[in-house]
Amino acid sequence: MVKLSSAERFTTDVEKVRETDIEAALEPQEAEGVYRDSTECAALALNAGTIGLLLSPPTPRPKKG
Amino acid sequence: MEQTGTSSRLTEAVQSLAADVVSALRSGDRSGVLCATAGPGADGDVALAAIRVLASDALLPQVLAAGPADPADLDVFGRAVRAFPPAPHSSPASCWSHWGMTRTLAALSRPHLPDLPGGPGTAGEPAARAGHRPGAGTEPDGAWLDDGMSWQDLTRRLAVLAPLAVPGSGCAPARTAAARTLDLARGFVRAVRRRDWLQAAGAARWLALAPDVPASLGLAGGLDFVQYMGGQDTRVLLHTDAARLMLTGAAV
Repeated sequence: MVKLSSAERFTTDVEKVRETDIEAALEPQEAEGVYRDSTECAALALNAGTIGLLLSPPTPRPKKG
Repeated sequence: MEQTGTSSRLTEAVQSLAADVVSALRSGDRSGVLCATAGPGADGDVALAAIRVLASDALLPQVLAAGPADPADLDVFGRAVRAFPPAPHSSPASCWSHWGMTRTLAALSRPHLPDLPGGPGTAGEPAARAGHRPGAGTEPDGAWLDDGMSWQDLTRRLAVLAPLAVPGSGCAPARTAAARTLDLARGFVRAVRRRDWLQAAGAARWLALAPDVPASLGLAGGLDFVQYMGGQDTRVLLHTDAARLMLTGAAV
């Protein structure tokens, strides 16, 4: 088994980090939270979708647990 | 410390590049955007990585326009394609993103020939359409966007692939988006309500191409709202500007 020098290990670690960063940037994860508004979302899409409707009612807070 | 530093540098580089692309979209000056990002004095690896993250959108002004691309920009873009190929363990999103880049590079690298029936390049034809002729490459596995997926997951995944949302895009994500416009509209509204502006902007871009978007959705107004609320992220600006251009059919 070939042992890497400290410089080679550092370079390898940096390369791994870059690939990880790129993968994370390409597919950001959604913030978790339950908003209980699936029905409202469908209704907003199907009814008159003015900016006013998008703004009201207020966004429900994420449900804990 | 190095991981944090690299990640923040990449984020800054992506934001800067997206801002340059937005400027090019708005001004019509398409040349030299990538050269300015990855030219002499730039942080080479991070600059190329930023192009990789933006993927096909790094050349979006050229893709939407009906003219040749700057050869220097194509050279830089090609370097980013070759520097960051998808690994065996890469996500489907990464594979689709890279595939889109290779397709864009192939389409923009073709010389613009006179209008010949069935020819490989038609003068004045947007690059997005030219890229779908035979030889554009094998698509990644389309099972990642299968029909049984929930509208929430569908929207999230399509939003991630927003750089593929260009006129004439005949790939699997485009066909899926066209077949599930109503679900995508639901997902757009959900993203707005969750204040996920990047996802909303990406979804809106697919909706801008859909022929049967409900007029009641108010997509144009929704784009204004998303841009107003999420415009500090230049990628949001890029997607909303692209969606508006495609909605109006305006050439860059």
